[in-house]
Amino acid sequence: MAELKAEDMQDIQGFVISGYAHLPCVSYLLLGISDPPSARGWLARLVNEVTTSEGKELISCLNVALTHRGLRRMGLDEETLDTFSRPFVEGMATQHRSRILGDGTENGPTNWDWGGNLTSEPAKPDETKAVDILLLLFGRDETTLDKLVNEHRARLAQCGLTLVLPLGAGRQPDIHEHFGFADGMGQPAIEGTIQTRDAAPRNVIKTGEILLGYVNDYGKLADSPTLRADLDPQDVLHDQPPVDPTEQARPSGASPPVMRDLGRNGTYLVFRQLAQHVAKFCHYLDEATRTLDEELDSTASDRLAAKFVGRWQNGAPLVLSPDTDDPALSKEDDFGYRDSDAHGFKCPIGSHVRRSNPRDSIGPDAAKALATANRHRILRRGRSYGVRPEDRRVDDGVPRGLHFLCLNADIERQFEFVQQTWINNPVFGGLDGEVDPLVGNLTKGDEIFTVQADPLRTRVHNLERFVTVKGGAYFFLPSLRALRYLASL
Amino acid sequence: MKQTILTFITQVNPDRVSELRTLLDVMGSNVEQNPYIPYLDLKLLHFSSLVLTDDDVYGAYLVFENNFDGELDQYLDDLYAHAAEGLHLIYSCCLDYPAGSATEKTQLLSYLRAHIVHPNAYHIGNVGRSAVRTQQEDALRDGFEDFLDEVVAQGDVGPASSIRKKVQTLVRSQPAFAWAANVEPRQTPLEYAVPRLKFAIAAVMALLLSPILIPLAIVWIVMLRWTETHEPAPPELDVKEHIKELVKREDRTHIVQNHMCSITTVKPGLFRRATLCGVLWLINLLARTFFDKGELSGIPSIHFAHWSMIDNGRRLLFVSNFDGSWENYLDDFIDKAAFGLTAVWTNTSGFPKTSWLVGEGARDGSRFKAYARASMTYTNVWYSAYTQSTVQTIDNNSRIREDLFRTLDVTAARDWVRRF
Ligand code: HEM
Repeated sequence: MAELKAEDMQDIQGFVISGYAHLPCVSYLLLGISDPPSARGWLARLVNEVTTSEGKELISCLNVALTHRGLRRMGLDEETLDTFSRPFVEGMATQHRSRILGDGTENGPTNWDWGGNLTSEPAKPDETKAVDILLLLFGRDETTLDKLVNEHRARLAQCGLTLVLPLGAGRQPDIHEHFGFADGMGQPAIEGTIQTRDAAPRNVIKTGEILLGYVNDYGKLADSPTLRADLDPQDVLHDQPPVDPTEQARPSGASPPVMRDLGRNGTYLVFRQLAQHVAKFCHYLDEATRTLDEELDSTASDRLAAKFVGRWQNGAPLVLSPDTDDPALSKEDDFGYRDSDAHGFKCPIGSHVRRSNPRDSIGPDAAKALATANRHRILRRGRSYGVRPEDRRVDDGVPRGLHFLCLNADIERQFEFVQQTWINNPVFGGLDGEVDPLVGNLTKGDEIFTVQADPLRTRVHNLERFVTVKGGAYFFLPSLRALRYLASL
Repeated sequence: MKQTILTFITQVNPDRVSELRTLLDVMGSNVEQNPYIPYLDLKLLHFSSLVLTDDDVYGAYLVFENNFDGELDQYLDDLYAHAAEGLHLIYSCCLDYPAGSATEKTQLLSYLRAHIVHPNAYHIGNVGRSAVRTQQEDALRDGFEDFLDEVVAQGDVGPASSIRKKVQTLVRSQPAFAWAANVEPRQTPLEYAVPRLKFAIAAVMALLLSPILIPLAIVWIVMLRWTETHEPAPPELDVKEHIKELVKREDRTHIVQNHMCSITTVKPGLFRRATLCGVLWLINLLARTFFDKGELSGIPSIHFAHWSMIDNGRRLLFVSNFDGSWENYLDDFIDKAAFGLTAVWTNTSGFPKTSWLVGEGARDGSRFKAYARASMTYTNVWYSAYTQSTVQTIDNNSRIREDLFRTLDVTAARDWVRRF
């Protein structure tokens, strides 16, 4: 496919194209709308400050996303609100979603710090945790970020907004998350963008897998929210393409009303706040790898951790480098599992990376398996929050974890699928009764993890919950046009 | 060992629909402990469901799905022995039900018999393995896994052949595992041969009759293409609200399987009805021969699925008991079996635009999913005899047992150990 046009790059929020790795400091402001007219005024001004995808090197960046509830409060009409995708409309915390995401017991929305009561229904009594807007602020250093955050916080009150919760993430010193592993290498690249420049062909996905209004992997236009043209008298939005590009014009009949595409150049943003229990994690690994005479064995402990993740601490994929953390392979993302490791002897079948992207390993043949797995890719944009522990083995009681953010065009087929069918699936890839050792939802008494080996596998028992969900919501990350439209309501 | 798939389909007394619905929902909310049908006592049963559908045209139906081991007579006796009272209460809400009390066995069972619908086509994921055997083999594997953990813990693993020896010794020494040494094969030679013979006869007949069949096929193709190009475009479906209802019972915690029941209206006219009938016949032929090893056209996750043309061929009932999420199941369908499933459902109203019976159709992923969701009915009651097992794990467990005492060469012994 051709490159996306310059005018589209001006329209797409920069967060889609870049995770702003050059800006190590970040803060997420979760906002509520108290006075819609002022909030629209705020948005009208904000649009001019939103970072686009044009690729300028900036010292700070700003992006903005809204929940379904937020869109309604902004004044979007019900008919249009209904054209958004079902998971987004219903929110992250319905009973069914909690089941498929594994948000039971400790992970359950009732225990969340924010977002838990976020439903599409208007006006619930306890709205303290509900979120309308997510403001993402990035800075080159603390000073730059603080200035930006303060400036925006100062604006809120007179703009009809409330601060539900500031999620300060602070500085991310490097690409390692709190368990100690390099993160962010396994990533799809959006066709038609600069992301494809360094990407292996196997990781390139159709534009419509992430951006709404473009052709997706089925060769169809990604489902996109639309509105009647008469609701957009100032022609802020694009017309919806008349028919799917692959489809013949429909047989004659009353021509349907012209619709405007509210979703084009936008995407859905999934946000989950995942607390990490670092000392528990390290302690578990230590205990599980004691030698026959009960000695600690740090090499075995690190190795088991790598088996959990599927990459070594510095990033080398186990499937390519099963015995050492080869620095030359730390960024490598061009590999499969089928040919070199069908049985999981190098990279366990149930490891986090093999579950969250099984690549070419599941299905009758490699090409088909890869094509199928690639329909379930997510563009991850997460960052750690909370300071690094001085000693990972000591529980200092400081809250820390991962602000897991990801982008996708179809929440159900991408994020939720990964979470349900891969991460939390007890029978994933022929396994029998185990879930993702890092982030899976533990529900049985004795949770196990199998490390395949030749001739015989080993299993570790009584896994603990190393990650707990603290909050979450589904957001819509609109195009700049769509933001302007919302501001104009 | 034979497995039987059938449904009892009865019309519900319009005045008692809501009463029956309440009863079924009580059952469904706690299936294993429900007071009407003690499923756990029905040892022949693999999967079973009760679905109450209410249709503007056809009225209210109760669909009672049964996938069980062995022959009908034995199953009915067992059902009656354990659930007479419950069945009586349920069927008292249905039209023409003759029994005055649960003790009238003949009336009750002959009513059921009179309402049997045998599927036009069906698929079984684990052919020849009874429900009891499936559970036993699962427990056996768990026992082996624990034992192998000890072997690993003792740091004395050794080559595959010696691991096998250790497991063999375990089985011989533990009375609880003794059954594992001698179990009948999955199928008798006859059970294996008959479907293949039927297939061969069909092929020979087709060849012999080709002078007649080929011109007929040409006429059929012309009619098909004419129909396809003259049918109105299917409507865009809004299924959000409907899905909200459906998912309430889906993806239950601690069950790796899901259930789906879909009822669609066959497009008007004899042509579509006959085409559908032919397609299902062909699918059934293939399902008995090529697809009897766990996969239906590459889909590895179906335990029991069946298609029945009901209401004199005017509607199509499809019921499936499958592994994993509905999304995953439908994706599998689209990726691996779009050909066959388009050939079936293109004959029903509302299906996405199709060309030449098998083209396009289901490949329009999101339209197809919307169509499939719209066609689904809420499953009121659903029972699975082995909630933690997939088609693949069941097969793996069977092979672990079957190959345990077989003489295996080095490679096969290695592969056997890899099954854990
Ligand atoms: C605190 C929680 C989590 C931690 C610590 C964590 C950590 C990691 C690490 C260390 C990697 C390997 C580096 C890489 O390939 O980029 C990784 C990869 C990945 N993770 Fe996570 N993760 C977490 C939660 C999640 C969740 C909730 C999901 C999805 C729902 C997810 C999806 C993925 C995906 C898709 C990959 C890339 C796999 C690949 O393409 O090979 N992660 N994660």
